[in-house]
Amino acid sequence: MERTILCVDSPERIATVSSAIEDHEDLTAIEATSVDEATQLLEDEPVVCVVTAYDFPDGTGLEIVETIRSETPQTPCVLFTDVSPGDIETSSFEELIVEYLNRDLPDATDRLEFVVNDVIDHSAQVGFLAPEDEDERLETLAEYDIDELPIDESFDRLTDLIADHFDVAVSFVGLIEKDEENFLACSGADWDSLTREDTMCTHSMLQEDVMVVEDIADDKRFNKNEQLENLGIVSYAGANMTAPNGQVIGQVCVLDHESRSYSPAERETLQQYAETAMEILELRQSVLEARPPEVAQ
Amino acid sequence: MSVSGSTAFDVETLPIDRVDDGTSILLTGDDTEALKTVFSRIVAADEDERSIVLATNAGGRAVRRTLRNAKSGAGDRASVLTCEGPDHDDAVTTVDDIGDLTRLGMEFSSLVAASQQSTARFRAGIFLCSTICSEVEDTRSVFRFLNTNFLTELRRGEGIGVCAIDTSADLETDINSMISGMETSFSARIDIKVTGRTDATLTVSGLSGVDETVDVTL
Repeated sequence: MERTILCVDSPERIATVSSAIEDHEDLTAIEATSVDEATQLLEDEPVVCVVTAYDFPDGTGLEIVETIRSETPQTPCVLFTDVSPGDIETSSFEELIVEYLNRDLPDATDRLEFVVNDVIDHSAQVGFLAPEDEDERLETLAEYDIDELPIDESFDRLTDLIADHFDVAVSFVGLIEKDEENFLACSGADWDSLTREDTMCTHSMLQEDVMVVEDIADDKRFNKNEQLENLGIVSYAGANMTAPNGQVIGQVCVLDHESRSYSPAERETLQQYAETAMEILELRQSVLEARPPEVAQ
Repeated sequence: MSVSGSTAFDVETLPIDRVDDGTSILLTGDDTEALKTVFSRIVAADEDERSIVLATNAGGRAVRRTLRNAKSGAGDRASVLTCEGPDHDDAVTTVDDIGDLTRLGMEFSSLVAASQQSTARFRAGIFLCSTICSEVEDTRSVFRFLNTNFLTELRRGEGIGVCAIDTSADLETDINSMISGMETSFSARIDIKVTGRTDATLTVSGLSGVDETVDVTL
């Protein structure tokens, strides 16, 4: 799969950077030589990584990083510069966080291609922690032919029942992909997907039991999350959808626009709903796989 | 440039024996002194290694002394990044603001890269990550920092890492929920429970050949 990398450096150095990137057959470099030009390119073309120098006549590389992070926060960025970290002005960018690659290192240019591929392959700059066996988890998720399964009606009905049972504003079934959560069904809201680091489910899926946040305003993991605020989410409870091999592929969740708690019995019930959702998915997949090829088509 | 099949790291001062290359350890407990002792015993470098320590609650001289107490000569094989005290020499780098994760991350990665110019093997540590969590605006930034500048270095290089969290700190979150989440991203977890004036029990998971609970003298 071809990957487009935005390379930003001075007119004298840009060719060195982009040719180092294009040494790898799957990487394509697009070039900019100023902050303004880079900002314009980011508006026009999706990129999977940014490699930028620090000093430009019209600003700094951190401004470019800030621009892309405001739109696609999980996109990795590499600051490729001979300016030492101590001389880089970070006071306005304290929580931006980039990979720093010192251009003065003897093997810096060779290392750049490796670093760029590595940060893309490993989603190395995301604002959430993935399980150590994330690759196996994603392989498990990929085994379900979600687009081919007739699950919409079943899950719509299920989320309606869950919302009604708990008397909450929103209930959903979501699958947690590599970079985002995709909602298979959602009662009380019209959501398709959310960037993974903006979701609460990416935290909930790491816990064995049901995760409850009674009021996100009291939890520092979520109270600066503008997406959650914009969606009006105040309280949350999420239960794991666990595949037969033990991998967690999704969540069944209830949300409300006001603070609320969940009793142990309610948590147990939510977990049972999650197991029901998993059974539906599993059965539909089994039926699909059992069909003769011509019928399945 | 990539993970190699190198030999494990010795930790003779704990009943842990050896830690495999690439291992990331989440170290938790509610006693800061006990955390510091166990942390320094794992992170103190042998002769063919370097330690890179991000210290939030101590100056460079104190950190190097603690490492020296854990292992003879280890203080001289350490690079310390801290927000306290002056730069004493090339091995101590200070930053003004522990909440400036962009600066911290760049300095930390730079120290790892510099240490790899002299020896490939390193032991990295953050003491205390809970202090960083309490200083930043958005916890997602801590996770981004750990991914970008800590776990990535362990994945790529020939090293081990320890991230210490003081569970008695007020982190304005459900700390048990946060730690159970973080635990899944690290390859091992050690939880310290102090049982006497100089004794503690370590609950260990994810380290091969180590009992689930081990008693240590601090």
